[in-house]
Formats: sequence, C-alpha cells, structure tokens
Amino acid sequence: MSLYELSGVARYFQRGPTTVRALDDVSLEIEPGAFVALEGPSGSGKTTLLQILGALDRPSAGTVTFDGSDLVKQPDSALAALRLRSFGFVFQQFNLIPTLTAVENVEAKLAPVGGTRERALELLAEVGLAERADHLPAHLSGGEQQRVAIARALSVEPRVVLADEPTGNLDSATGGEIIDLLANLAAEHGSTVIVATHDASLAARAPRRVTMRDGKITGNVSAVPA
Amino acid sequence: MFYLRYLRNELVRRRTRTIVTVIGLGLGVALVVAIASLSKGLDRAQHKTLDPLSGIGTDLTVTLQPQQQQDQGFGGGFGPGGGGGGNRDLIRANQSVLTDLSKLGKPGAHFVHDFFLPGTQLTFQQSAAGQIASLDGVAKTTTGLTLLAEHQEGIVPKIVATLKTQAKTQTITRNLPRPSAQDFAKMQACLQKLGVTLGRNNNGGNGGFGGGRGAQGTGANRDAFQKCLPASLRRFRTRFTTPSQTLKQVLNPPQTNITTTAYTIGGVDQTSPTMGVVTTAQLTKGTFLSPAGGTEALVATSYAAKHSLKVGSKLDLNGTSFTVVGLVSPPLGGQSADVYLPLKQLQTLASEKNLANVILVHAKSSSDVAKVKQEIQAALPQAQVASSKDVADTISGSLVDASNLSHDLGLALSVVAAVAAFLLAALMAFSSVGKRVRELGTLKALGWTQRMVVRQIAGESLATGILGGIFGIGLGVLVAVAVDAFGPSLTASSTTGSDLANLGVSTVRTATHSVSLTAPVGMTVLAIGFGLALLGGLIAGTAGALRAARLRPADALRQVE
Repeated sequence: MSLYELSGVARYFQRGPTTVRALDDVSLEIEPGAFVALEGPSGSGKTTLLQILGALDRPSAGTVTFDGSDLVKQPDSALAALRLRSFGFVFQQFNLIPTLTAVENVEAKLAPVGGTRERALELLAEVGLAERADHLPAHLSGGEQQRVAIARALSVEPRVVLADEPTGNLDSATGGEIIDLLANLAAEHGSTVIVATHDASLAARAPRRVTMRDGKITGNVSAVPA
Repeated sequence: MFYLRYLRNELVRRRTRTIVTVIGLGLGVALVVAIASLSKGLDRAQHKTLDPLSGIGTDLTVTLQPQQQQDQGFGGGFGPGGGGGGNRDLIRANQSVLTDLSKLGKPGAHFVHDFFLPGTQLTFQQSAAGQIASLDGVAKTTTGLTLLAEHQEGIVPKIVATLKTQAKTQTITRNLPRPSAQDFAKMQACLQKLGVTLGRNNNGGNGGFGGGRGAQGTGANRDAFQKCLPASLRRFRTRFTTPSQTLKQVLNPPQTNITTTAYTIGGVDQTSPTMGVVTTAQLTKGTFLSPAGGTEALVATSYAAKHSLKVGSKLDLNGTSFTVVGLVSPPLGGQSADVYLPLKQLQTLASEKNLANVILVHAKSSSDVAKVKQEIQAALPQAQVASSKDVADTISGSLVDASNLSHDLGLALSVVAAVAAFLLAALMAFSSVGKRVRELGTLKALGWTQRMVVRQIAGESLATGILGGIFGIGLGVLVAVAVDAFGPSLTASSTTGSDLANLGVSTVRTATHSVSLTAPVGMTVLAIGFGLALLGGLIAGTAGALRAARLRPADALRQVE
C-alpha cells in the first residue's frame, strides 16, 4: 500500500484579478521508505506540493490520501497532530526559532509529545552538533543551522521528512553533506524523505525523481535498484 | 519546563523589545497610580479642610446677617438690640473700635488694648438657641461668639483739644409783609368762631395790628389770636441763646506709633467639647478648655507658630491673663478663629454679656438637615442658615482649585492615562506578534496546535504585563512618595465679613489653612493599575497570536520576516 496517493490535486492562488495555478491536476503515489526528489525550476509548484504533502496547506481540488485517510477531510487539529507526530520539516531558511538555542529548537518539536532535553541532545549528537547545543542560531553557520533543523525534523521519528530546498542557502560542499546526512538518518530512522530542489545534481542522488514544471508533473523516474 | 524557558528566552533575548514594552506599560500604570493617588490625596485634604462643619460636630450654623430691609421684633430676642437699617446695626455693633483713644491713658503713656468686634456677624441673645433647639429634627444646639479682635499697642496720642465757648444771645427782627384783605377776612372769621369779637373800628388798622393787639387781649383772646394769625405773620421776632459748650476737637492727624494687628477670637461653650466653634477633635496638643471655664485659652496652631505660643504660654487680654492649655487646628469656615476662650470669658471681655453670634445646630439625622434648615429659616427669617456645603463654597485657594481640577480633570486624566497605557500595551504586543508570524508558522509546522501557540504568546504578554505592572507600580509609588516629601503646599482661605468703610476698620476676616499635598497610594489603585497592564498586554497579545495562529501554516511561513 502506498504511503501517499494524490489524485487530481490542484492549488490555486488568487493574485489580484488573476488566478495562479500553483498545482494543476497532480496525481502521484509515494511508497513508504522512499527517498523522493521533487525537481523543477522555481515557481514550478514544488513547494506547494510539499506543503500539501506535509499538511501545511489544503488543496483547492483533488484528494490527498496519507496512510489510508484523506487529508482534505481532516480538521485542522488532526492535521496539527499529523504534523507533530508523522511529519518533519526542513526549510531552505532553516526556520529555527531565533531566541532558542540549538537544543531548545529541537525541544520545541519534542516538548508537545513529551520528549526530553536528553533526547534532544542525543539527536544533536547524531547530526554532529553535541558541542554547539547551547548556541543560538545566530551563532551557528548555515550548515550547522540546517543540521539542527534536521535533528529537529527527525526528533519524533516521523513517517515523512519533507525538505524544501534544504541546500538552497548553503555552498555546494555543505549542501552535499546535508543531503547525505538527511538520507542516512532518514534511512536509520525509517522515514520517507521528500526533498524539493532545483539542483539537478542533488536530485540525481535520489532513487526517485519527480520532475515538475508549471504546476504539473512532467517526469516521474525511479532508478532501478542496482 | 520547555515552554517556560521559551517564554523567558523570548523576554530575555529580545531584551530591547521587552524593555521598551515594560517601560511603556510602566509609564501608563505609573500615570494611573500617580493620578489616582494625587486625586485621593486632594480628596482627603479637601475632606479635612473643606468640610468645615462636620469637624465641629455640626450640621448647620445660624448667624444673623445685617440686612438693609429689616423686619423688627422677631421672636425670642433674636435680633440686634435696636431698630434701624443693617448698616446702622453694624456700625453700632462695631463702634467700640471708635473708642476715644484718650480713654486708654494719659497722652504719652504706653497702652496695649484689644478691641473685640462682631464684624458682620451681629450678636444676638443666647436664648435664641433655645428656640432652635425646640424645633423638630434638631438634636442639639450650642452657641458661640466669634469676634474680630483688633490688637492695638502704642503710645496714647495727644489727640484732643478742649475748647470752651461762652453763652451768646442773639436777636433777630424781621419786617413782616402786610396781610392782604383776604387774610384779614379769614382771621376775622376765625376769631369770631372762637368767640372773640372785634370792634369794627379795628378792622382797618392794619399797620398797628400784631403784637399790640395780642398784648392787650385776655389770656383766651391771646390764644385765639395765636391760632388765627396767618402763618406768615407768626413769630416776627425771635430771640435765642446758644448755651456755653465744651468742644473736643480731634487733632488731625494724631502723632502716635500705634500698631494694629487683627486676629479672630472665638468664644466656646467649654461644657460642650464635642460640638462648638472648636471641639476636642481639632485638638493637636495639650488639653481642651476645662468645664469650669476659667482663664484658659486654646490657640490655633498657625497663630501659635506666628506668635511663638506654646501650651502653658500666657495670653494677656485687656488685663486678664489667659493660660494657653491647648493647640487646635480648626476647620476652615465662618466660625474658625485664632484664639478660643470660654464663652463667658469672651462675653465679659467684649462687653457682650449673654450675646452670641452663631448657633451651631446638630440635626437628629443627616437626612433631616435640609428640613431643619427650612424650619430655622421659617422660624427666624432674619437668620442666615448655612450648611456644610454653603460654608465650603465660600472657601477658596489653591486647594479648592486643585481639588476642583482633580474632580473635573482627575478622572478624565486617569481614564486617558489608563487608555493610553492599555493602547500602548496592546500596540506593543500586537506589533511584536506581527513580526513573529513566520516563527509562529514554523511552530505550527512543527505540529503546535493553535491553542499552544496562543497560550505561548499569551504567556509572554502576561509576563510582560506583570513586569510592566510592577515597574509602573514602583514608579507610581515613587512619584507618590516624592509628592509626599516635596509636595506643594496647598492653601484654602475662607473670608467672612465685609469692608465697612464708614467704620474705618475692616471687619473682613480671612482664615487660611495650608495643607501639604499628599498622594496616598491605595491597594485598589495598585490593583487597578496592575490589572490594566496585565489586561492590556494579555488581550492584545492574545488577539495578535490568534490572528497569526489562525493562518494556515503555509501562509504563515510565506510571510517575509
């Protein structure tokens, strides 16, 4: 059974008098444990699709079935619960809380599920930041901030990690490290990973590449396991 | 606990924002606390000073005011001794000050003398109090005598020259006009009526008529003649003598060095220590007048300070030595005085035996006051009846201005300050949340529910509110303490009487009270100020958080920081 089943998903935005079709009739299936790259130029609808997959947004039309239930029909509170326990997000801008230290940022995700500070510190150790746990985001490099974000995303053992241009603000070497870290940790934690990127070289690392353009899926390639 | 650490971090790590918000809130709260406290202080001062009658256990005062149109003979001997217009009464009542200075001693001798004048509060028989006491609703009455004292000291001047005049007799003779025939006929008719017959030959003799005729007539005839003579012919000649006289002429101006100081003196019924022109309630030092009514005096604190009088000091009044037994702080109003003596003592000194010029009335209940006032006015139309409010209305000065200001403006200002504090808190909380929409979107993306986000922000707002409230209360109390310590002195003056130019002295009596402005901080005020800070921060913060947390996380994340 698929983890995700999307059928005829559309998302329109009203920009003044014109309607922008960010997503237009998208249908997609994603298997559990997959590592998927959403590939496409900016404005192709990757971020919108990722937000709908992560229950951050609702589609204007179509159905989004996650783990057998239609997200479109779920109330906000159920979506919040899903985001808390089943999804982990990694953003291009890192989106760390600026007033919280590295470990506290991880705790921000753990606290609602009753996770402890010790658990947060373990996760920081996993991403190699044990010694920088008490630093504020402003005192961390971009790569370090993104590691904190990965630790935060994985802290609750989510079903899915959704990463939106996780390397967009990083140099290519750091970007590579981050993608590797994400892939390895997701595999360890048994999480499905969906990464949106406009970087074809990064997308090439993913076993499955979904290519997008103008809100539509234009390519859907699974690498044949070697 | 993570949420509390988060809260603390928000406040500590966004220090500038927190400090600005706390100061803003604090200023608002401080303003509310300070204004409310000042207002309360003024109210207290006003209550103490401007409620002149309740302090002396009295609801109404009854005085006799001079009136131009005077109804004579109203009951119970309540009224000035004689008739005549109001001004005449005033002049008569105050004439002792016109006393010939030469009576004070031989020219060149040093004299000290106190003249006691009722001023514009005319005296009346004390028995009038009984008439009021018998009215319905009156619980108790007592009388007082409040006089204006002119203390004069100096050298008796040589002011009078004595002149003796001799008796003089003067004679005046006038030529009389000739009576007309008509006059003559009238006279004749008159004489006939009275039974006097005149010979025909006589009717023509105009020239020699007059005295010769009268002198020859019998006694009865002479009377008839007197009656019948035309007016123009009567007394054609007169002789008068001016008597011998001794005239005293005032030398103008007398050479002297007399100094006059004015003060007020009150006669108190010392057997009524809780109700009278001064009561035990106003005693600040020493004891009240003993019931026996000896040569004891109470002195107002301000007067005592000016004249270095203490408990135990001697006060010499026209040869009688009074011992100061206590200092008092009398309330303002028409009946306050600088020096108080037992009523009988003052009556003797001022030659006002059995006379008083104020009746203090205590009603059975405060709701009866208006009714009693009407009754007294009906019973004694010439009386001026004043309630506490009437007396308070005559008081003026910076205290009155300030308390009026505080009444008119204090509330408005408090409200403005409170609203300002509230709006400021709201604005700060709202804008701070507005800047954090993306952060709140991130929290939602992490799985925080709307409730958790709002709770977190509300907690921050609450904490800021508490800090602002504490700061504001501290600042407000500091202002209040500063006002207590360095507060301006407010004065209240009460003027009674009027200038009487024709007396040459002023009977205007001005009593002034100085009250140091205080700002007592009440728990209610603190609670209100604190509550406002909390409420302002909380409502605004929560509203802002709700607005942000309601956004779909995707929309919130899209917000540019």
